[in-house]
Amino acid sequence: MKNEPVDVLIVGAGASGAAIAWSLLETRMRILCLEQGPHLADKDFPSRDDDYELSRFGKFSCDPNVRGLKQDYPINADDSCIMPVNFNAVGGSTINFLGHWPRMKPSDFKTKTLDGVADDWPVDYATLSPFYDMNDQTTGVSGLAGNPAYPKYSPPLPPIPIGKLGQTLAKGFNEMGWHWWPSDVSILSEDYDGRQKCVNAGTCDLGCAAGAKGGTNFTYWPMLENAGVELRTECRVREITVDQDTGMATGVIYHGSDGQVHEQKAELVIVACNGVGTPRLLLNSKSKIFPDGLANRSGMVGKNLMFHPLTGVTGVFDEPMKGHEGPMACSILSQEFYETDATRGFVRGYGLHSGRSTTPMTYALGGFGIDNPIPWGDEHRDVMDNVYPYIAGLTVVAEDLPEEHNCVTLDPNLTDSDGISAPKITYRLGENSRKILKHGEERAKEILLAAGANKVLSKGDDAVWWRAGWHQMGTCRMGDDPSRSVVNGWGRSHDVKNLFIVDGSIFVTAGAVNPTSTIQALALYVGDSIKTNIETLFD
Amino acid sequence: MDELIPANEKAGVPAAGALGVADFLPAATPYAIDPVQSITEVLKAVDDKIPDFAKLVRTDKIALLKDVETRHVVDFATLVRLTYMGYYSRSDVRPMFGVGAHPVQPKGYDVARESNELMDSLTAPVRARGQVFRDV
Repeated sequence: MKNEPVDVLIVGAGASGAAIAWSLLETRMRILCLEQGPHLADKDFPSRDDDYELSRFGKFSCDPNVRGLKQDYPINADDSCIMPVNFNAVGGSTINFLGHWPRMKPSDFKTKTLDGVADDWPVDYATLSPFYDMNDQTTGVSGLAGNPAYPKYSPPLPPIPIGKLGQTLAKGFNEMGWHWWPSDVSILSEDYDGRQKCVNAGTCDLGCAAGAKGGTNFTYWPMLENAGVELRTECRVREITVDQDTGMATGVIYHGSDGQVHEQKAELVIVACNGVGTPRLLLNSKSKIFPDGLANRSGMVGKNLMFHPLTGVTGVFDEPMKGHEGPMACSILSQEFYETDATRGFVRGYGLHSGRSTTPMTYALGGFGIDNPIPWGDEHRDVMDNVYPYIAGLTVVAEDLPEEHNCVTLDPNLTDSDGISAPKITYRLGENSRKILKHGEERAKEILLAAGANKVLSKGDDAVWWRAGWHQMGTCRMGDDPSRSVVNGWGRSHDVKNLFIVDGSIFVTAGAVNPTSTIQALALYVGDSIKTNIETLFD
Repeated sequence: MDELIPANEKAGVPAAGALGVADFLPAATPYAIDPVQSITEVLKAVDDKIPDFAKLVRTDKIALLKDVETRHVVDFATLVRLTYMGYYSRSDVRPMFGVGAHPVQPKGYDVARESNELMDSLTAPVRARGQVFRDV
C-alpha cells in the first residue's frame, strides 16, 4: 500500500465524500478517499436471496450495533431515545437509505430571523439552488415539477408511481384541503445514464441491487474511479494529524486493510463521516494545540446533535393497499404544516410522509425502525390477516431544534475493532419537538379517516421511533462566529485552514426533510468554494 | 409454537409449528445472542409447570404461556421474535399475505405509473391553492 502524499484526502465515501470528490475532479489535484467499509458487489445485496427479509435483522441491519461488522463502530445510545443508524461501505448510508429526496426550503436557512429560534445559516437556499439542480442531474431524481411548496425547479425524471396507497391518501389530503405532492426521490422512474429503472422491489433499505436508487456507489463512484480518484477501502482513520507549529492538518493515521497502521500525508483534508462519525474523528484527534479535539476551540464539536424524531399513524382500509410494492419510503409528502404558525403552539413544523408498508416479517416484528413486535396468539392471526394487507400510514417527520445538551461525545470504555474510542450519544426530545409530533399525529388521523380508513391505529404513547436516527445533523455546525461554530460558511474549519467538513454535521438547523439532497448540494457548494478560493485557500 | 402463530385453517395458512419453524431456531445465531439458551429456558419453564404441555386444552396452554412470558420476559421475547423470523422468511408463506414468493430482485413488482391525466386531476386542488412556503 503506497502512501505517497496526495493533494486532497477525503475521509468517507458516502453521500458527501463522493459529491465533493466529483466537484474537485476538474482541479486535476490528486484525490484519495479512505473508506472504512468495503466496495459491495451486486451479489452482496440480499434482495436477490429467497430469505431476503432476514438480513434486515442481521448483516444488513441499519443499526451498526446489530450488524457488528468489522467496519462498523459501535454506538452507545443508552442515553438517547433515538438510535443513530448508518451503513459503512462505499456509498455510505446511501447504500441503505430510502432515497427520499426533498430539498430544504428557503425559510429553513433563516429560522433566527423568521422565527427567533436557533441560528441563520451562513448560506441560503438561493445560493444552494444550482447545486441542488446539479446533484439531481448527476443522481437521477424522479419527481413532479410545479410543487407549490418550493420555489420553481424541475426534477430530471417523471415521478415514480405513487400506487394505490398514495392515490388513496392523496384523496384524503384533497378532502381536507391540505398540501401534498408526489415525493421527490433519488430512484429512477426511467432508465437513466446507463442505469436501470426501479423494479418496485420495495426493499430499498437492503441496498438496491439494480442500481436504480441513487447510492453514490452507483452514481458518483463509477465516474470518480474512471477519472482516477483513488479509493482505498477497509481503511479506518484513527486521527487527523496536525503540524504543532503551523496548526495545519498534515494528513491522517489510519488502519489499513492489511491490518497495519499507516500514515497518509495530504495538503488538504476533507471529513465526510456525517453527524456522528465526523465529531467522533475530530474528538479522537487530540494534540497539544488541540487538547479538546481537532478544530474544537469553540467547544462546539459534537454539540447540537439533531435527528428527525418520527412517529407514525396507520389507517386500515377496506381493500388491500399493496404497500410492499414500490420504493419503500416514497410515495407522497405533505408539507401543509411545515412552516411556523404561532397558533399551533410550537415553532417550525413537520412533514407528513406516506411511505409504503413493508414485508410480513418486518411488520410482524414491529415495523421498520420501531422494533415492537405485534402480539402472538390469536391476536397475531387477526393482525396479519385483517390488518397487515389493508394498511396505509403516515409518518410525522418533525423538525428538531439544536440544543447543546444533545451531543456526541467519546465513550470512555467502548471501542471499535481497532481500539479507537466509540461515540456516545446523549439526546432527549425537546418540548417543541414533542408538541410538533402530537400535532402531526392528530392531523394524520384526520387525513386517514378522510381517505376512507375504517380504523386508525396509533401507538398512543409519547415515544418516538427508536431505530430511526438516519438523519444526524448539527454536530460541527457552520457559522460566521468562530466561538459558536466549527466551520465557516463554505465548510472550512475556523481553527485549521486546510481542514474542511462537508457532511450533515455542518447543518445549522435540521428542517423537516430527509437531509441527503441538502448534504450533497452543500458538498458541491463547498467544492465550488474551494475552487473559487484556490489562490487564497489557506489564508 | 403453534400457539405463537396459530393457523388460519379457513384461509389455508399453517401454524408455525406445523410448518417446521422449530428447525430455524437453533441456527438463528445472527439474530439473537444465544437462541438455544433462550429457547431452552422457555421450554424448561413450561416443563417445570406442566410436563405434558401437549395434552392441555388450548385455553390452558395459552394461560401457561402467558405466565411463562411474564416470568421469563427476555427469553420469551426472543422465542417470539425468532418464531416470526423463521415463519415469515419462508418464500412459501409470503404469498399468503399478498407478497411475492420470489426474491425481490431482479423481478420486483409491476406497478403502473399514474397517467399524466390522473396525476393532473389529483394535484389540481393542490396547485389551485397556490404557494405554501414562505418567501424570504
